[in-house]
Amino acid sequence: MSPSTLALSQRILERLMPPAQAEALLGDLLEERRLRLQAGSQVSVAGWYWRQFASSVPTLLWASVRRGAWLITVVTAVASYVAANGIQFVLWSALSPMTSKSGPTVVGLFSFAAALAACGYVAASIRLGAARLLAFLAFATTCAMLAISTPASLWYEGSLLVLGPAATIAGAALSGRLRRVRL
Amino acid sequence: MFYLAEQMPRGDFLGSLEQIVMLAVMRLGTNAYGMTVRREIEERTGREISIGAVYATLERLEAKGYVSSFTGEPTAERGGRAKRHFEIEAAGHLALNASQNALKNMSEGLSRRWKRA
Repeated sequence: MSPSTLALSQRILERLMPPAQAEALLGDLLEERRLRLQAGSQVSVAGWYWRQFASSVPTLLWASVRRGAWLITVVTAVASYVAANGIQFVLWSALSPMTSKSGPTVVGLFSFAAALAACGYVAASIRLGAARLLAFLAFATTCAMLAISTPASLWYEGSLLVLGPAATIAGAALSGRLRRVRL
Repeated sequence: MFYLAEQMPRGDFLGSLEQIVMLAVMRLGTNAYGMTVRREIEERTGREISIGAVYATLERLEAKGYVSSFTGEPTAERGGRAKRHFEIEAAGHLALNASQNALKNMSEGLSRRWKRA
């Protein structure tokens, strides 16, 4: 086992734990590896080390997921954003035949806001931070989309920028209010 | 048994790995740290266990207040890294007792059926 692969494996393990715990675990691994090297061959010790590494990574990864609320928040926000796009598409497909106009329409804005409000509601009921992140995602992606697409009217672009975060926060606020009523 | 069960929050029986890790910590006394706990489990159960699983379980037990830890001095054979020693807290003794008693009570009188299976 080369020193560089050993260092790489230790860096991976380090990333999955709080620093104090990582120091103790890596020290334990080194201590036992040294003890085993005194009694066994390099090959068998390398096999033991990589078995320990391979079986520790999934366990520590899961522990870091359980420990880190941030990851659940990020996953919830991203999943909500994907769901919002799906809902928006379905709403827009259902409502757009009612208008004859093509391009920027009130129907487009409505489906955009309604989808984000619904997903903001769901995200906030899982984690409030996820709804805030969803509002930011809606704002950031709308900015990016407006920057790369052909310019639309100013009122439409402005409405998109304001409506996305506003609808998400409104959905989150509704979720919080309903939760308080239930309590 | 009922007294012990009443002292614990409801539904807070220990899992099998949690019990095994706590028993290993108890056996090792002042020498209980990651590597020794892992080796103790392996020697006594014949089951290979990863150091990651030991630490994840100890972290869970510490969060529940069943074990506590303190950092030792760094040593050269550990690449200058410090040991983290573990010890069982009073709540841990209570939880372990309740879990062991629950198992004992549940298996009481089943020895004949066990032999037949």
